[in-house]
Amino acid sequence: MNDVIDIPTAYSLALVEAGKRHPNLVVLDADIPDSCRTEPFYEAFPERAFDLGVAEQSLPTFAAGLALIGKIPFYNTFAVFAVHRGLDMIRQSVCYNRANVKIVGHAAGQSLGYAGPSHHTLEDISALRAIPNLVILTPVDAEEARQMVAWMAKYDGPVYLRLSRSAVPSVHASRYVFEVGKPELLRQGTDVSVFISGDMVTLGLALQERLHEEGISAQVVNVSTLKPLLPEDIVRYGCQTHAALTIEDHSIYGGLGSAVSEIYAEHLQKPLKRIGIPDMFTESDDKDVLLKAYGVNLEVALQGVQALLEKC
Amino acid sequence: MKTPLESLNNPALRELQLSAIQCRKKIIEMGYVNHIRLHYGALMSMVEIMMALYCQWLNVDPANPNWQDRDRFVLSKGHGAPALYVALWMRGFFAEHHFQGFRRLGSILQGHPDRLKTPGIDCSTGSLGQGFPVACGMALGAKMDGARYRVYCLLSDGECNEGSVWEAAQIASNQKLGHLKVILDRNRKSSYGWMAGRNDVEPLAEKWRAFNWAVFECDGHDFEEITTGLTNLEAVTDQPAILICHTVKGKGIPYVENYPTKPNILLTEEKYQECLAHLDQVESELRDE
Repeated sequence: MNDVIDIPTAYSLALVEAGKRHPNLVVLDADIPDSCRTEPFYEAFPERAFDLGVAEQSLPTFAAGLALIGKIPFYNTFAVFAVHRGLDMIRQSVCYNRANVKIVGHAAGQSLGYAGPSHHTLEDISALRAIPNLVILTPVDAEEARQMVAWMAKYDGPVYLRLSRSAVPSVHASRYVFEVGKPELLRQGTDVSVFISGDMVTLGLALQERLHEEGISAQVVNVSTLKPLLPEDIVRYGCQTHAALTIEDHSIYGGLGSAVSEIYAEHLQKPLKRIGIPDMFTESDDKDVLLKAYGVNLEVALQGVQALLEKC
Repeated sequence: MKTPLESLNNPALRELQLSAIQCRKKIIEMGYVNHIRLHYGALMSMVEIMMALYCQWLNVDPANPNWQDRDRFVLSKGHGAPALYVALWMRGFFAEHHFQGFRRLGSILQGHPDRLKTPGIDCSTGSLGQGFPVACGMALGAKMDGARYRVYCLLSDGECNEGSVWEAAQIASNQKLGHLKVILDRNRKSSYGWMAGRNDVEPLAEKWRAFNWAVFECDGHDFEEITTGLTNLEAVTDQPAILICHTVKGKGIPYVENYPTKPNILLTEEKYQECLAHLDQVESELRDE
């Protein structure tokens, strides 16, 4: 565990490590290897790193071609372009081909707050979750990011890695073992389940502490694999509390909140509240200002929990 | 394989011409027997190209479809799948009975190429303008490996309306993808009809040259010219190369070739027999030569 390493740095280091272990690992970029922190890979393995230029829709197709002849391509750009610019390519050339492509979406959610909605990634999970053959991951901290990269390099199949840029606490010790598809209990509790993913861990843990002060016992569950997400793995936690809250830096349509709601509706029939970005195009500002403005904040979450428990 | 022009003697040439007739017969049979509308125009324009590739040129092994050193082939114009299926069948990748289930649930022969279902297919395609960039990625990997094989891709002129084609074309030349050999089926019509004056791509050869590709042109229905073209592609090693094959939509079947609108037709018994009779006649004349 290292408190000073952020997720982008962890990714950058892990990519070089994976490159050492896997001689077939190839890195592709679209003119922003600096922003994607892939430059150390270029320095370590110049013969295995390619900047294709400002050509985001070519990332999934070139990566698919590389994968189909046995390479392990990790392609990198801002998440909003990594997913949406080449979405048809991801569906047709990556997933339908079951090509061993690793899509790495950087600065996801509202990480690039000041850049405005053109650079905010709030529909990527919605767009990808219905595409077969694809695994969707998002780490809560540096250690999980490191282990996810190592796992992705070994796994034979398409994966989307959603990376935030926000500073997050280290919640995992190095003895933590990432297990794909398995939500992880971060805090135990009996009244309400708080399902979070990615950098929303900060808000989730703050909420848990605040609820504790008010005599409400909340469990915090890290859903770092958004797909596949088996019902029993959510039910296992959901059955232990009376209600659930989901928190995500993503549209409330189609992301973590939707995924957990689907399982709750079919298997638990307990009250659930989604905290996320409403159905709108956002605006420019600091990420924290934006999250507060759009209702992804401690006050709204507290009110949400109180309203949920009143229903129980 | 890779039979050069000097080895293409009269018997070999005639075999290729006969294979093209057989391919056309099989394609119309696939549509007629299964009661399916096929892109007959786009299929007939690519027949000689596919026969040259699979009966004469590509280093592939039907007994070992995943052979590491095989030439790769990507059908970027995925709607041409029936012609690819006939070529694969003729090369021995699967048995003839699979045509009975063509485009049906459970069949190894889907509406568009599916690499996970059909032996011999290297890339699933169907969304226009995507097979070509995937082939570019394959060629990039081949270059990294110093591979002996080549990556072939059949692209349509209609696909050259897709921005993804030109984005990839630019990257391919920047990356000096000498393993990449593209064949362009220049039949001058896209789905909705003639491209001239509507969705034109001219000057096509100049465009590819401007993108720093080696460009060759030939009659895409003449096996000797196609062979020369493939030989020319092979000789290029330090940049991507393209062979623009000038073709005719619906070639070889007058009913399709002269069809006033889009010839995605459901063949009636009468029309099927008429097309078949024409092909029989051409075959008979060829055998009598």
